[in-house]
Amino acid sequence: MTLYAWALGLCLAAALVALLPTRAPAVLRPTGAPAAGGAVAERVRAATPTVGAITVVGGAVTAAAGALAAVAGVRAMLGHGWSAWLPDLLPLGGVRLALDPLGGLFTAVTGGVTVCAAIHGIGSGPARATRVVVPLFVAALLLVPAADGVGAFLFGWELMAMTSLLLVLAEHRERPSVRKAALWYAVMTHLGLVTILCGLCYLAAGAVGDGFDQLRVAELSPAARNVIFLTTLAGFAAKAGIVPLHVWLPRAYPAAPGHVSPLMSGAMVNMGVYGVVRVGLDLLRGGPVWWWWIVLALGALSALYGVLHAAMATDLKRLLGYSSTENMGLVLIGVGAAGFFAADGAGPLAALALTAALLHVVNHAAFKTLLFQAAGSVQRATGTRDLDALGGLRTRMPYTTALFAIGALCASALPPGNGFVSEWLLLQSLIHALPASGVAGAVTMPLAVGAIALTAGLAVATFVKAFGVGFLARPRGPGAERAAESPRTAIYGMALAAAACLFLALNPTLVLPALTEAVTEVIPAGRPVTGEVTLRLTTITGSISPILIALALAGAMVAVPALVGAVATRRVRRAARLWDCGAGPVSARMEYTATSFAEPLQRVFVDALQPESAIDVTAVKESAYLVRRVRFRARVPDRVERRLYEPVLAAAVRLGTGARRLADGSVHRYLSYGFYALTGVLIVLAVIS
Amino acid sequence: MTDPLYVQTLDLACGAFLLTGVLVLWRRDLAAIIWLFALQGVALGALIAVRGLHEADVELTVLGLGVGLLRAVLLPYLMRRALAAGEEGREARPHVSVAASLLVTAVLTMIAYAVSQPLVRLAPTPATQAVPIALTVLLVGFFVLVTRRRALSQVVGFLLMDNAITAAAFLTTTGVPLVVELGVSLDVLLAVLALQVLTTRMRAAFGGTDLDELRELHD
Repeated sequence: MTLYAWALGLCLAAALVALLPTRAPAVLRPTGAPAAGGAVAERVRAATPTVGAITVVGGAVTAAAGALAAVAGVRAMLGHGWSAWLPDLLPLGGVRLALDPLGGLFTAVTGGVTVCAAIHGIGSGPARATRVVVPLFVAALLLVPAADGVGAFLFGWELMAMTSLLLVLAEHRERPSVRKAALWYAVMTHLGLVTILCGLCYLAAGAVGDGFDQLRVAELSPAARNVIFLTTLAGFAAKAGIVPLHVWLPRAYPAAPGHVSPLMSGAMVNMGVYGVVRVGLDLLRGGPVWWWWIVLALGALSALYGVLHAAMATDLKRLLGYSSTENMGLVLIGVGAAGFFAADGAGPLAALALTAALLHVVNHAAFKTLLFQAAGSVQRATGTRDLDALGGLRTRMPYTTALFAIGALCASALPPGNGFVSEWLLLQSLIHALPASGVAGAVTMPLAVGAIALTAGLAVATFVKAFGVGFLARPRGPGAERAAESPRTAIYGMALAAAACLFLALNPTLVLPALTEAVTEVIPAGRPVTGEVTLRLTTITGSISPILIALALAGAMVAVPALVGAVATRRVRRAARLWDCGAGPVSARMEYTATSFAEPLQRVFVDALQPESAIDVTAVKESAYLVRRVRFRARVPDRVERRLYEPVLAAAVRLGTGARRLADGSVHRYLSYGFYALTGVLIVLAVIS
Repeated sequence: MTDPLYVQTLDLACGAFLLTGVLVLWRRDLAAIIWLFALQGVALGALIAVRGLHEADVELTVLGLGVGLLRAVLLPYLMRRALAAGEEGREARPHVSVAASLLVTAVLTMIAYAVSQPLVRLAPTPATQAVPIALTVLLVGFFVLVTRRRALSQVVGFLLMDNAITAAAFLTTTGVPLVVELGVSLDVLLAVLALQVLTTRMRAAFGGTDLDELRELHD
């Protein structure tokens, strides 16, 4: 508890440090004689810290807060939980805080992401507003999983929504598109908050108090429980970026500053999953099977839809944003399956599915933190996020390239990446469901397995594209040509996240025991996974040894070239020009771009994606056969947005313009609206009474 | 003060309060409207003072005198100054004719009586039985705002509503705290001063104070 309190305190301290007055950096100081005003002014100037010093101190304090929070979370997972009630902090009910293993898991993840993001942020020279708000955002992220009452939970949630909105808006002066993104984000996150508020208040109304302990024993009718689950699910799904509520996600991530996107993607979207698990499995103690069907279906839909759009995206951060939707979809498949099995009475399988889901949360946080940091570095170095205009960063930004490669390997769920382990666990739990769960399970689970398999395949293509097109080959744009390696702190931040990825990839057995505590809290069914080097499933036959796989792969990578070198005939090497079909020297314009790489996939999924393309041919005036210019434009629009949101928005705009006729500028008319309304209400009152 | 005398003076004050309110709708001469408003101020002050005398509450009595001074002397004085500064002396043709307005007032009175029955039933004292009158004047004031065109009539309509709210407050309770009443009165004074400035500006800019001329600045 002390650790956690210290973490919150350090967050506030970091925010205060960022508020201190600053002076211009020493480089800008005139080198000549000191200006008139003399020694006193000079002393005051010397006492005021520079922007750089403030950034370093603020970042270091935030990182320390993150580290403390991570330790506090891990301690809570290992059974050193605590609870506190601060009755005077908020009116009506006070603040209830508690850190149990489940909350501890999410606190630890948030803490870890914070450390990386804060270190990364030191070098990027963030604006003052960002420096102040980031620690507050971290504090809100720590508050949500530690809340033990509806009041504290909603307070933390709203604080998280507000601070993240400010961070999304931070660069609105530099890029006008940020404003629109922030508007989308504000609307979606606050609609989500409203539904969560309604659901939790309805739940609290049926209990004797707002503490989670009291909510767990509340006696509610099944209809009320259904309403509560569905409303809160809508809000949490919006936060986790689940289709069809994902529209804010690919907009907000590109809009946020470089070191904020990792926090949002690695820590904030997890809170949606936390909410579903906490409310659905813990507070409402599971529910009918159809709840979890909905969760599972939403998860499968998001995974497929997210990865398809990620595979099509050409904006690096947009790609990562859609990939977040995909990964949260996978997590929800696991959560849905866990709820489904628990409702069916298959406790051990449920525990396995939930373990897989939570492990994937941890893994996703690790590799997405790494990837978003790298994307931020790339954007800072090249000034663009467009993969079509990047390329050739391997020689210019070698560290960032290597670290991005690790992240891409992990995100594509291939061994020896960490995403592979959790997806393997998830597949195991789904495959072994067949005998246990009747007809419904026999139909649902194979479909879910298929969805995960397709998702994994497309994820490989997506990250091959992101890495190969974005970092390898020759630069295709002026920004990429001028790129230089990112500042040292940014590399440290990325390296830390990459180390976490590798640790999780090679030693999941060290993490899983702590994770099991969080699982047994909601599904008490013993340990689903054991083993030290080899991961063994306890209830079903299955085992995997990530470290041995990694060793075997490394061995193969050494052995195969050696073998080829030994067997192949040794010809004399000759340097010659690359054969270019006689079309002149190969230029960067002939490389694979992100669009062309995704084109075959786009053709395969043309019905699902419905891409738009237009070819404008401008002919010479004299003859239609002589073409002056051909312009090709292609776009993959978000279908959900087009079908679901645009009609609603258009209707709202129509309503607004229609309502304008009510306001013609006459004061008397405005007054008479009030008068008629008042008398109308009075007449109705008189008639009723 | 004996009970019958209290009831009679209270009813007299309330009657005067209602009558002056309704007559504002009848007259189109702005000077007369200001006179009627001043009379209503007197009635309101008397109403509060009578209640104060009956309850033997010195503070309430003094408050009644203060309210009477503000609404019967100070506010009419300010309005007369605005009128003397060049306002046309007569109300332009209102949106609803005078005869129709008086009929509407009858309907509004009936609504007010019907609506306030539950309130009266809560504690049927002579004072609460007069609550419908306050509600009627409130609706009449709102009606003046809706139908009259001159800026000064708008001010009077607004002040009628405020008078009615004050009357309702003193009829249903044994007096609001002095601080609250002081605050409300100051607010009213400020609003009238602001409107006076606005009227002068409007006249300087447009040569008249007919609100229907001001339609350009809408969204």
